[in-house]
Amino acid sequence: MSNTELIRKLRAVLKPENVLSAPSELVVYDCDAFTVERHIPLAVVFPRSAEQVAEVVRACSDHGCPVVARGAGTGLAGGCTPPPNGVVIMLTRMNKILDIRLRDAMALVEPGVLNLQLTNALSGTGYHFAPDPSSQGTATIGGNVATNAGGPHTLKYGVTVNHVAGLEVVLGDGSILQFGPVEDPAALDLARVVCGSEGTLAIVTKIWAKLTKNPQSCRTIRATFASIDDASQAVSQIIAAGMVPAALELMDRGILDAVEAAFAPGVPPEAAAVLIIELDGPEAGLDSLLEQVIALCRNWNPGEILQAKTPAERELLWKCRKMAVGAVGRLSPGYMIQDGVVPRTRLPHVFRRILEIAAKHRVRIVNVAHAGDGNVHPILLLDERDRDLTARAQAASREVLEECIACGGSITAEHGVGTEKIELMEKLFAPADLRAMHRVRQAFDPASQLNPGKKFKAICQ
Amino acid sequence: MTAITASELPPEQTVSPTDELAVAALIGEAYKSGTPVYPIGGGTSLDYGPQPARPGIRLRMNQMNRVLDHPADDLTITVEAGMTLAELNRQLATKRQWLPIDAPESVRATVGGIVATNACGPRRYSHGTIGDYLLGIRAIDGCGEAYAGGGRVVKNAAGYNLPRLMVGSLGTLGVITQATFMVRPLPTHSALVICDLPSFQQAECLLAALGQSRTTPMIVELLAGPALPLCPLPALPDTAAARLVVGFEGSAPEVQGMANVLCDEWQALGANGLTTITGARVDSVWNWLSESPAMLQINVLPSRLVGVLEQVAGILAASPLQAHAGNGVLRIYRLSPPAPLPQKGEGSFTNLIQNMLRPIATAAGGHLTVLATPADVELTPAEIWGPPRPGAALMRSIQQRFDPAGILNPGRFG
Repeated sequence: MSNTELIRKLRAVLKPENVLSAPSELVVYDCDAFTVERHIPLAVVFPRSAEQVAEVVRACSDHGCPVVARGAGTGLAGGCTPPPNGVVIMLTRMNKILDIRLRDAMALVEPGVLNLQLTNALSGTGYHFAPDPSSQGTATIGGNVATNAGGPHTLKYGVTVNHVAGLEVVLGDGSILQFGPVEDPAALDLARVVCGSEGTLAIVTKIWAKLTKNPQSCRTIRATFASIDDASQAVSQIIAAGMVPAALELMDRGILDAVEAAFAPGVPPEAAAVLIIELDGPEAGLDSLLEQVIALCRNWNPGEILQAKTPAERELLWKCRKMAVGAVGRLSPGYMIQDGVVPRTRLPHVFRRILEIAAKHRVRIVNVAHAGDGNVHPILLLDERDRDLTARAQAASREVLEECIACGGSITAEHGVGTEKIELMEKLFAPADLRAMHRVRQAFDPASQLNPGKKFKAICQ
Repeated sequence: MTAITASELPPEQTVSPTDELAVAALIGEAYKSGTPVYPIGGGTSLDYGPQPARPGIRLRMNQMNRVLDHPADDLTITVEAGMTLAELNRQLATKRQWLPIDAPESVRATVGGIVATNACGPRRYSHGTIGDYLLGIRAIDGCGEAYAGGGRVVKNAAGYNLPRLMVGSLGTLGVITQATFMVRPLPTHSALVICDLPSFQQAECLLAALGQSRTTPMIVELLAGPALPLCPLPALPDTAAARLVVGFEGSAPEVQGMANVLCDEWQALGANGLTTITGARVDSVWNWLSESPAMLQINVLPSRLVGVLEQVAGILAASPLQAHAGNGVLRIYRLSPPAPLPQKGEGSFTNLIQNMLRPIATAAGGHLTVLATPADVELTPAEIWGPPRPGAALMRSIQQRFDPAGILNPGRFG
């Protein structure tokens, strides 16, 4: 079958208006938010049902051409970069909330539903969908499942895998399977294995999302520190004291400059770092918990400790954190955001090393972090037109992740491996570990039809 | 309980390795000779699944019971798979931490066994199940090769989630040798609110209302039928159809406050006869609720639970029934009548499962599982787990790749 025949077949399956094949249309889909590697896909299709996804997968399989499922394309590691000669299956038109069952604390959604769309739909019910990546206004829940997305509040509530009760998926051979939502002792927990598999095991077409009851109350504070070292020492100590805040976020001076320019939250200029700390739960215990957290912060010479007194003040604190990465545009024409994770006791060390690595490679790095999880997001400022700078930023990036491995951590906490980190998988895992993953891959998708070349190298073969 | 004793397994040989290398060497040899290997943790689930059809090696993991790494300030711990849950929590308690899941017979049940069987208890309502805490795993596959998945950090998106794949895999993907868990701070106080219910209808009314409660329960248990042995609570009065037990954990003001609020909420819904238990007595009730191994389990969506419970209670009037009601898990303890059921025909165990109980679960969109086959009964896989699932071929394909010679717990799962 020629490419033309495949496209004709896809048009027959989906109607012509749901298939893009003109070069000028395809170029928009040549990468996700990881822009370093790009491939123009063969076609981009917009199915509206699992059956249509399955037909597309079968047609592509007959044609010997791989597919990649894609949501909003907010992924930061190249998980949705089209494989060479691949077809992009856009799931953004499968965007209906099919059912909300509060009695079961569950919602059934299509993969193209936006994370925030679900939370907004739940407004007033007393429930929310807990994973809250900073991209939640644009990222789809299908994409959240593919990357096992996190967010600030996953410190207490867990990442996407903890909030998925079941999935309907299309496999590489076009078959449709359902895992869950009722727990089944007779079956392996394959829904949870598909979570975080970056589209390499199955294409998710329905999600039974677990809903979380809203906390009765919360307290949100912002504490400033004279150094990032002091701030990260405070984080380590809060965790070591056995406290589990709802969120424990860190921003350094570099990112604060951008945030200040964008939102003017009034962080004192002498502050080298801030922590945003949120505690939630029953009203009865919150004030005493807050006192304990503030007492621990006081061990590390905080400057100003500001408590949000109104919902609007809390919103502003969170806006500054969640929009921080977007504000980086005020600092440089381009940037690369990294995602590494270390044991929480190693945070002060890893921040010191990030400073050293930045100096060594002559790259400016600013920092945001889901510090309570040990999840650092160094942002390397660059200008893609400056090839030398870009190369230095990539080298620095790699060195930061190698440091995370050396600390007993991992190369990604929530963004995924994609293509960006595929080389590092062999540093993190032993060959036998990768072989074990390859077996899973082979069982799900023996023909490597789904998103080949992602996640780990073994599946490139 | 009805547990089959270890001596009833094919008596080929028993080995108790003390380190991972020994496990790997043993399985490597078994792979070459095609000898089945039956891993045993605490031996609390030996009667779960079909009995071994082929003689093989009983691989006892209880000598591998050390803490390998407990960086307490990171709130993680790495232990060998043969450590019991009770011992793990004893170690963690020295740092005022715990693994906040429960599993029956925690003094015997090992963490490897709990992962392999996905055993759980009342706390799953708030704390989830063992998979929610399992950060990393090491195991020996069916060729004798060690592999690892996950890691030792609390968030990790590198690689496939092999730890989750191991949960509930009944030893068919490898013999688990190590596990790393995220742990939590120990709560200091707990309280229980107990309500005897005149009808199942009122049970559903109160359970549904919990969704909008201003409280944050840790456990939501619904009990019916005669009490399990050693019940620390007064017997259910004849006028009551069921009993709801809701538990709270946290600081003293939190738990007292929430217990009061819940009593107010329930009284507003017309509930009478509420009892609040605080202090040391809570532990005895809580343990009683979590430690007993069940014979059968039904999983449904939470909204279907009360209806299923009522139907089951109608058939098994003399059986203790306990539901993790907030999760849709019904546990049936022993079957009435207490005398042995006939082997065949009407009234037999098989007939009861296949023709009376499983249809109730299926009609409610759920599953019935036999967790403990009585010693004098033989069941097929379909009788234990129900008909093969649509994903069974995929599951077998995964198992076959981890265990190409079919020596890991052969015939005991799927």
